Amino acid sequence: MASIFAGAPPNGAPGYSFAQTPTAAPSGIREHSFYPYTDNGGSTLGISGADFSILAGDTRSTSGYSINTRYAPKLFKIGGEGPESKGARIVLSVVGFAADGEALKERLDTIVKMYKYQHGKPMSVAACAQRLSHILYGKRFFPYYVTAILGGLDEEGKGALYSYDPVGSYEREQCRAAGAAASLIMPFLDNQVNFKNQYIPGSGEGHALQQRVPEPLPRKDVEELVKDAFTSAVERHIEVGDGLQMMIITKDGIEEIYEELKKD
Amino acid sequence: MFIARSEYDRGINTFSPEGRLFQVEYSLEAIKLGSTAIGVATGEGVILGVEKRVTSTLLETSSVEKIVEIDSHIGCAMSGLQADARSMVEHARVESQNHAFHYNEPLRVESCTQAICDLALRFGEGAEGEESIMSRPFGVALLIAGYDEDGPSLYHAEPSGTFYRYDAKAIGSGSEGAQAELQNEFHKSLSLEEAEVLVLKTLKQVMEEKLDSKNVQLASVTKAKGFRIYTDEEMAEVVGRLPTN
Repeated sequence: MASIFAGAPPNGAPGYSFAQTPTAAPSGIREHSFYPYTDNGGSTLGISGADFSILAGDTRSTSGYSINTRYAPKLFKIGGEGPESKGARIVLSVVGFAADGEALKERLDTIVKMYKYQHGKPMSVAACAQRLSHILYGKRFFPYYVTAILGGLDEEGKGALYSYDPVGSYEREQCRAAGAAASLIMPFLDNQVNFKNQYIPGSGEGHALQQRVPEPLPRKDVEELVKDAFTSAVERHIEVGDGLQMMIITKDGIEEIYEELKKD
Repeated sequence: MFIARSEYDRGINTFSPEGRLFQVEYSLEAIKLGSTAIGVATGEGVILGVEKRVTSTLLETSSVEKIVEIDSHIGCAMSGLQADARSMVEHARVESQNHAFHYNEPLRVESCTQAICDLALRFGEGAEGEESIMSRPFGVALLIAGYDEDGPSLYHAEPSGTFYRYDAKAIGSGSEGAQAELQNEFHKSLSLEEAEVLVLKTLKQVMEEKLDSKNVQLASVTKAKGFRIYTDEEMAEVVGRLPTN
């Protein structure tokens, strides 16, 4: 377990008791270290549709083999009013180091609210995406240890999804999985959302086979994909489980769905 | 009355007993000495026009810069102390670029105007921890024209830090007469070409010199072309369109 104070107390004293305090100066080389990051496990994913975006994340928070809590949301509504985030149109998901994720959420939320006061209009997802990138890059040399996914609707009402690395490199995508089980979920999404490795039967032999053209999926299908992705990830990854939180952004606002996942 | 005034018009940030800030009021007077500037907003775009005071036949008129670009979609015309406008315009440009950098979208015209007005009252000794940049109020008024997602708009910003949106506005020495003329002539369905003529016609009435294509300057902000200062040829063309009387 990566403890915040890894290496302290150092081997061979001083310990926690004054009785054990050595009277002679320590000999040899002593190394102190401070590791400010912890991996809290968990996974998130996002898929955008023709007129909606969906973000999902499990609610388990871990430290090594321990579970801190079975309910620690990784999904946050951005720019809404009050504790319920009323009227929010943008969702941020963060996975990695939970404390950094929380801090990042607070900063982005404040900025989006201030933007509305200053410019008299709600911030677009594209503007929010660019701003988030700069927040992350602003801490290039002491990064927020998180993989972020931002979801909402673009200016034309189409689903918009932006994925990030911890230092702010970002891209608009159809789908993205992040966190501990990203390597398990992403290939599944590639195949099921972008139809990778799916070919039109009888369209040719070998390399002449034609790739099935991806199209935006209906909301019901996407919700099923998300659930399947997470139930599978829970089976194969110890840091994923407990609960599945989903947020669906449509023109009518943000719908939140919670379902149980296996707690083993 | 006069005695009271001389007591209270020295301090930059001291109210008079009647509740007035004389230095700010004097700065508004400075604008009334400036050359006339006019802005007219139409559905297609905004036209800005200024008179250039050509004080000498030896003066190179192209060096008189009273309309400047703030961003590709915002421009402004000024009246008053030219030098003061430079720091305001510089601030607006930085603000506009910063917004584009952070949000990947153009700054709104109202936000740009607000940013300029934020500067206006940063004079005097400055509060603790905040550096003041001017020792006195700015002696310049701006007409800020731009095009954003809400269409074309025109704003007037004063040294007092207040700003208003206008359909048509005149500032500077000829502003009273010009504003009355605009009041009569403006209507919502004005085309861009008609606005060009209205601006020049109004300027012509209030200018001391005889208007020609050298002593006035026009600029426009439209959706298609953004902010653009008219070339000498375009100026000659519009001046040629003016009704002769």
